[in-house]
Amino acid sequence: MKNIYITLFAFLFMLSCDILEPEPLQSLDSSTALADAGSAKGILAGAYTLLQDADYYGSEYPLNSELLADNAIFQGFYQSQSELDQKLVPITNLWITTIWPDIYIVVNSANLLIAGVDDIDDPALDKDAIKGEAYALRALANFDLLRVFGEHFDNSSQFGIPLLLEPIPDNDFNQIPDLARSSVEDVYDQIISDLDQAIALTEGSSDTSTMNYWAALSLRARVNLYRGEYGQAFIDAKKVITEGGFSLEENLDDVFYTTDASAESIFELEFNEQDQSAFNTYLYRRDEYNVDPTLLSSFETGDLRKNYFTRLRGRNRTTKYSDNTNSNNFKIFRLAELYLIRSEAAVFATNDPDAGTEDLNTIRNRAGLDDLAPILTTSQYVDALLYERRAELNFEGHRFFDLVRLGKAESVLGLEAFRKVLPIPRTELQVSDALVQNPGYPSN
Amino acid sequence: MEKKSISFLLFFIMASVVAMTYGQSISGTVTDPSGLPLIGVNVLVKGTFNGTQTDFDGKYSIEARTSDVLVFSFIGQKTVERNVENNTTINVQMEEDAAQLEEIVVIGYGSQKKSDLTGSVASVNGEDIARLPVSSLDKALQGRAAGAYISSPSGTPGAGMSIQIRGSTSLSASSEPLYVIDGVPMISEDLSGLFSGGQKTNSIADINPNDIKAIEILKDASATAIYGSRGANGVIIITTKRGQTGAPKINFNSYYGFQTITNQIDMLSSKEQLELMDEAARQDNRDLGTNYPDNYVSDLWGYDPNDPDLQNTDWYDAIFRTAAIQNQDFSISGGTDKIKYYTSLAYFEQEGTQLGTGFERLSARANLDSEINTWLKIGTTISVSRTNQQRTINDNSLYGVVINTLAGDPLMPVREEDGSYADPFNYFGWWMLDNPVLVAEEYKRTTKTVRGLGTIFAEISLTDALSFRHSTSIDYTSLVDESYTPIISRESVNSGANGLGTYGSTEDFTWITENYFSYNKNFGDKHNLDAIVGISYQASNRNFASISAQQFPSDQFVKLATAAEITAASTAGTEWGLASYYFRANYGYDNKYLLTFSGRADGSSRFGQNNRFGIFPSGSVAWRISQEDFLKESETISDLKLRVSYGVTGNQDGIGNFASRGLYGIGNYRSGATLVPSQLSNRNLSWERTTQYNFGMDLGLFNNRLTLTTDYFIKDTDDLLSSRLIPGISGFPSVLDNIGAVTNKGFELSISGDVLRGDFNWNSSFNISFIRNEVKNLVVDDQIISDSHILKEGYPIGTFFLIDQKGVDPQTGNIIWDDFNGDGIINADDRQIVGSVQPDFFGGFNNAFSYKGLDLSFLFQFSVGNEIFNHSRAIYEGLGWSRIGTGFPLPDGNNHVLARDRWQEPGDITDIPRASLEDGNWKEYSSRWLEDGSFVRLKTVNLGYNFPDQILSKLNLSNLRVYVQGQNLLTFTKYTGFDPEVSQNARDPRIAGSDFGTLPQSKSYTLGINIGL
Repeated sequence: MKNIYITLFAFLFMLSCDILEPEPLQSLDSSTALADAGSAKGILAGAYTLLQDADYYGSEYPLNSELLADNAIFQGFYQSQSELDQKLVPITNLWITTIWPDIYIVVNSANLLIAGVDDIDDPALDKDAIKGEAYALRALANFDLLRVFGEHFDNSSQFGIPLLLEPIPDNDFNQIPDLARSSVEDVYDQIISDLDQAIALTEGSSDTSTMNYWAALSLRARVNLYRGEYGQAFIDAKKVITEGGFSLEENLDDVFYTTDASAESIFELEFNEQDQSAFNTYLYRRDEYNVDPTLLSSFETGDLRKNYFTRLRGRNRTTKYSDNTNSNNFKIFRLAELYLIRSEAAVFATNDPDAGTEDLNTIRNRAGLDDLAPILTTSQYVDALLYERRAELNFEGHRFFDLVRLGKAESVLGLEAFRKVLPIPRTELQVSDALVQNPGYPSN
Repeated sequence: MEKKSISFLLFFIMASVVAMTYGQSISGTVTDPSGLPLIGVNVLVKGTFNGTQTDFDGKYSIEARTSDVLVFSFIGQKTVERNVENNTTINVQMEEDAAQLEEIVVIGYGSQKKSDLTGSVASVNGEDIARLPVSSLDKALQGRAAGAYISSPSGTPGAGMSIQIRGSTSLSASSEPLYVIDGVPMISEDLSGLFSGGQKTNSIADINPNDIKAIEILKDASATAIYGSRGANGVIIITTKRGQTGAPKINFNSYYGFQTITNQIDMLSSKEQLELMDEAARQDNRDLGTNYPDNYVSDLWGYDPNDPDLQNTDWYDAIFRTAAIQNQDFSISGGTDKIKYYTSLAYFEQEGTQLGTGFERLSARANLDSEINTWLKIGTTISVSRTNQQRTINDNSLYGVVINTLAGDPLMPVREEDGSYADPFNYFGWWMLDNPVLVAEEYKRTTKTVRGLGTIFAEISLTDALSFRHSTSIDYTSLVDESYTPIISRESVNSGANGLGTYGSTEDFTWITENYFSYNKNFGDKHNLDAIVGISYQASNRNFASISAQQFPSDQFVKLATAAEITAASTAGTEWGLASYYFRANYGYDNKYLLTFSGRADGSSRFGQNNRFGIFPSGSVAWRISQEDFLKESETISDLKLRVSYGVTGNQDGIGNFASRGLYGIGNYRSGATLVPSQLSNRNLSWERTTQYNFGMDLGLFNNRLTLTTDYFIKDTDDLLSSRLIPGISGFPSVLDNIGAVTNKGFELSISGDVLRGDFNWNSSFNISFIRNEVKNLVVDDQIISDSHILKEGYPIGTFFLIDQKGVDPQTGNIIWDDFNGDGIINADDRQIVGSVQPDFFGGFNNAFSYKGLDLSFLFQFSVGNEIFNHSRAIYEGLGWSRIGTGFPLPDGNNHVLARDRWQEPGDITDIPRASLEDGNWKEYSSRWLEDGSFVRLKTVNLGYNFPDQILSKLNLSNLRVYVQGQNLLTFTKYTGFDPEVSQNARDPRIAGSDFGTLPQSKSYTLGINIGL
C-alpha cells in the first residue's frame, strides 16, 4: 500500500519539467522577427503603426507644433501641453521626452529593414520596394526630429541630431551606441541621400496610405525648401504637381469631411474605427486643443477656409478632424502644400517676388478668394505666403516651422531666439555623454 | 538533475521504512496538578498520528508497542512523554507551564513555539479581526503589527490595500508582501482590467475574514528566506480554522451597521464664492492696474451675491450617503478523533459611502482532516467565493466622481427643475466635465469574481522522527468586468458614441505542488533537531478577453448584444512558472541556544537565461538567557531571549512575464497586422536581492504578565528592478534592469501587558516602528519620475519634487516663488526636493477591558511625519484664476473654506495668496499644496456583552454575545483633505502620497450578535 503512495509522490516530483520555459503568446522574440517576406512586410507596416503613435502623427506632433505657434491654445489638464502653449519649454517637458524615442523607433525599424532584407532568401520578397519605403520612412523620421530638436534653419549649425543608421545589435540595450549630434548639414545630406535611394527604388508606387514614390518626392521638396535648396525643391514639387496624377478638390469639404483619401492626397496616415487616432479625442471630446483667437481673426473676408471652425461648449475648434470615431486620416502630404512649396521655391530661386503668385492664386481661388495683385517685394511675398500657408494648412502641423525657417518666430510669436528649437530632453542628456544641449537651455 | 536526485533520496528513505504493527493496549487516567481528571488531553504515539483524547473521567486507551513513547499534551500544561516499555497502565499527572501559555506560531512550512523562534514574526489572532466591518482581512490588520505599514489608499469598498513590511524595498517591482494561505502562496494582485482610474480591486477580499484563525507576519530574513525569491517584502501567513474533536459547534454571527465618510470637506457658499470672484477683479485692479468694473464677475454671470434665494449646492453632500453594511456568517465544526471538519457559509455586503459603489461577497469553506490509519493523514482545504464589486471611475480621471466634485459650482443644481441632470457646461465652473451625480448613478462598472482555492494534502509518518507531506493546490479565478457609459453622459455625447459598453474577462489558473520531509528528534536530553527539506513547483496561466461597443438603443440596455457597433475585441494570454528547492534546520541545545539555517533555490521563468536560478540562504541564532541557571529562578524575568539573524531574500513580483526578452509585438495598420519592436533584450535581468540583518530581544516580566519585543533591522536591497533610462535613439526610453540599491533601517517595539487581572481585566498593547528609507545607488541618478516626484541617491523613495513657495508677500498678497535655477522664469525647471511620503514613525495602541460579561476594546492607529501632496487643492483653491486665459471669468469652480484666510489687505499675514483672475499665484506642482499627513485615528471601538451561563443554559446555548462596534470614529490630523490615509498610486511607492480626487474612507457603526449552539 505504502509503495503506491511513494511511487505516486515520486512521480509528482518528476512533473512540470518545462514550467520555466513558457513562450510569449502575443509577441515574437526579436532575434527571429525578420525572417521572410511576410515578416519583412509586417515590420514595414509596423513602421506606420509607429507613426500612428499618439505622440507622433496620431495627434500630438502636429497639434503640439500648433500650440508652439499661434494657431492653437491649450485649455486642458496636461502640464506638458501647457508648457508648449506658453512657449517656455522646460527640459523635463513630457512630450519632448517621449517624442524623442517615439520618432527614433521608426528609424530603428527602418534600419533593421535596410540592413536586413538583402539577407533574406525568399522569392516572394520585393527587396527594392521594401528598402525604398524604409529609406523614405527613415528620412521622414529624421527630418521630423531635426525640425523639433535641431537648428534646421541654419545650415552651418553644429546642432543637428544624432544619426543612427544601423540596427541595435541583437536588440540588446547594452549595445546602443553613444552618438553625438551630427551637424545640420550632415543631417540634411543624410536625409536627401535616403530620399534619393527611396525615389530610385520605389518608382511607380502610388499607394497613398504609404510613403510611396510621390510622397518621397514631396518630402524631398519640403526638405530642400527648409534647407534653402530652392531649385531642387521647385523641380520635385513641379514633378508631383504635373506628373503625379493628383488634383485639387474643388470643394474643401471633400478634403476635410471625409475619412478616405481625396484626389489631392499624396500620403495620408490612415486611421479607422479599430485603429483610431487621438485628434477627435483632444479636439472635441476633451475640449483641450482649441483655436487661437488670432487665427480666427486672420482670415480675409470671404475665405471659405474660415468655415472649418466651430464653437462648441464655449470653445472654438477646428473641424478638420470631426469624425467622432477618430477615423479621419492625417494628411502628411497633400497637393495644396506642393503648390505652396513650388510658389515659395520659385520666388527664392529666382529672387522674383512675383514668381510664385500664380501658385498662391490657385490655392486662393479654390478657397473662394480673388487673385492677388502682383507682388512687388520679397517681404510682401512672405506675408502673402504665410497667410496662405496658415489659412490652408492650420492644424496640420506646419505653422511653427514655417515661422522659424522664414525668420518670423521672434516677431510673430515673441520668442527668444534660442527657443526656436526645443531642448534636448533631460533624460537623454542623463544617459549620453556625447549628446549636448541646444544653446540657451540648461543641461540639468 | 536536482529533481531526479531528490526523488532517489525519497525512494531511499522510503525503502528503509519497515511496516509497523501495534501490539499492546495501554490505558490510564490523566489528572491536573490538583489531582482532578483532565478532559480532552491529547495522547499520541510519538512520531505517528495514532492518538486519542481523554474522556470525561480523564481516562484514555491506546494501542502501542513496547518501544513507543506516549506524548500527553494539553493547553497550559507541560507536555509529558512516557516510554511504554512493558506497562499496560500509564497514569499521568500534568504540571502547569507558564511558558506553555504562549501560542504556537505558524511559519513557512511548519509551526514553532514562539519561545523557539529565532526570527522576527508578528502574530495577529483571528478573533481580533474576525468581525470588523471591513471587506478584507488586510484592512483589518491596520495598526496591529509592528513593522507593517498598512494604508487604505481608497475608500471604495473592496479596494486594494497598500502594505509595506519594513519599508519600501522596490521601485517598479511590487513592494507588497507574499500572501500564503494555509501553506499556499496565493494570487494577490488586481486581476481586473476595468478602467476605474487607479482604484485597484483586491483579490485578498475573496477570503472571508471570519474563517481566519490566525495571521502571522514574517519580517526578517530568517523567517522569510524559506520563501526565497518572493520573501523580500515580508510574508503574510494566513491560517484558516479547522475542526477540533468534539460535539459539533454551531456558530452564527450577524452584524448590521451604517457608514458615513470620515471627514466632510467644507466649501464656500455661493455667496462667498461670488464675493471672492468680484474681489479677484478688484485685487487685480489694485495690483496689476487692470480696469474691471465693480461686481465684475457676479454682474457678468447675472447673480447678486446678496440674493437670499441663491442656489447653494453642497456637491459633496450630493455624492455621499449614509450606507449600509451587513455580515451574516454561519459555521459548523467538530469531529471524531479520526475525522475533523470545519465548514462555513458567509455573506458580506457593504454599500459604499459614495453613490454607485458597493461590495458583496458570498463565500463557503470546507476544511477536512482525516486520519486514515496510524501513519497516514489526509485533508482538504477548500474555499469558494463570489464577489461583486461596483465601482465608479475615480482618482485622476476625466469622468471620476470625486474629482469632478472637487470644485463643484454651488450655483449649479444637481438636477434642473424638469428632473434632468444639470449640465456643467451651462454653469460657471471650468473643472467639472460632467455632473458627478450622473456619473455615480448612471455609469455601470461592475467586477464579478468567482474564486476557488483548493488544496488536498497527505502527511505520512515514516519513522518516529521523520514524516513527509505532499500537497497540491489550485487557485482559480474567473473574473468578469462589465461597464456601461450612458448615452446621457458627456463622455458619450462628446464622442458621439451613443453609449459605450465594455466586457472583459480574466481567467487565472495557478497550480502548485509542495512536497517536503520533516524531521524532528531529540538527541539525549539536550539536543533537539527539527528540519525540513522539500520541493515546490508552481505555474500559472492567465487569459484575458475584452470587447468594446458603442451605439446603444437606450440606457435601458447595457449588454453588448444591443450595441450596433463593436469597436474592439481581443484576447490575450500569458504564463509563468517557478521551480523551488528549500530546506530549513532548527537546532536547539538545552532550550537555551537556538540555531536556524534555511535556504531556498528558486528558478523563475521571468528571468534571463543567465540568472534563472537564485539562491536565498539565511541563518539565525537565539539565546534564551532566561533559561540559564542565573535567571531561571528569577521572580521578575520570566523570559529573556536575544535573537540575531542574517539572510538574503528576493523579489520578482510585479514585473512582466517576459521582461528579459527582446520582443516584437503585434500592431495594426489599415486593418492588417503589423510587427513593431516592443522591448529590448536584457539577458542579465535578475532578482532583486534583499540582505537583511535583524537584532531582536524578547522579554517577559512577572510570569509574562508584561511582554516586550523589540527589533532593529538593516535591510539592504540591491539589484533593484526598475526601468533603466537608456538612450532614446534605440527607440525606447528605458529597459527593465537591475538599477540600484535602497536601504531600509528600522526599529520596532511592541509591548503588551495585563495591567489589571481579576474580575476587572485590562490588557494593553502598543507597537511603534521607526523606518528610514534611503536610495543608495542608481545607475542614472536624479530621475524625475512624475510631475511631483524624484528618485535621487541619498533621499527616500517617494521624495516630493515641487516648485517651492517662500510664502505670501504681506504687501501684495502674491506668492513669492523660489526661482530655483535663477533664470527669471518660474516653471517646471524650478522644482526642488521639498519632502517625502515616508513617515517618521507609525504604530498602534490597543486596549481591552473586561468586567464579568462586559468587554470593551479600542484600537488607535497612528502615523507621524509623512507629507501628502494635496493635489486636490490645486483645483479647489484656485482663488479665481481661469485656464481659459488671463482675466477670463471662468474659474475651475468653487473654493475650499481655506480661501477665507486669503490675503485681502496690505499687511495681512497669511499662507493663502490674494484672489486673482490671473495665474501668477497658481502653480499646479508646487509646495503650496504640500501638507503634513500625520494622524492619530481611533480605528475600532468594540463594546460587547457575553450572557452568563445561567441564561445560556436556559436558552440551551453555549455562547451568546451582543456588541456594538465603531470603525474610524475619530481622526486627529492637521491634513485638510478628506483623509490622511488616501493615496493615489499607493502601490507604486516612487510616486505615492498624492491625493487627487480619491474616495475617502468611511466610518461605521455596527450592531452585532454571536450565537453559539
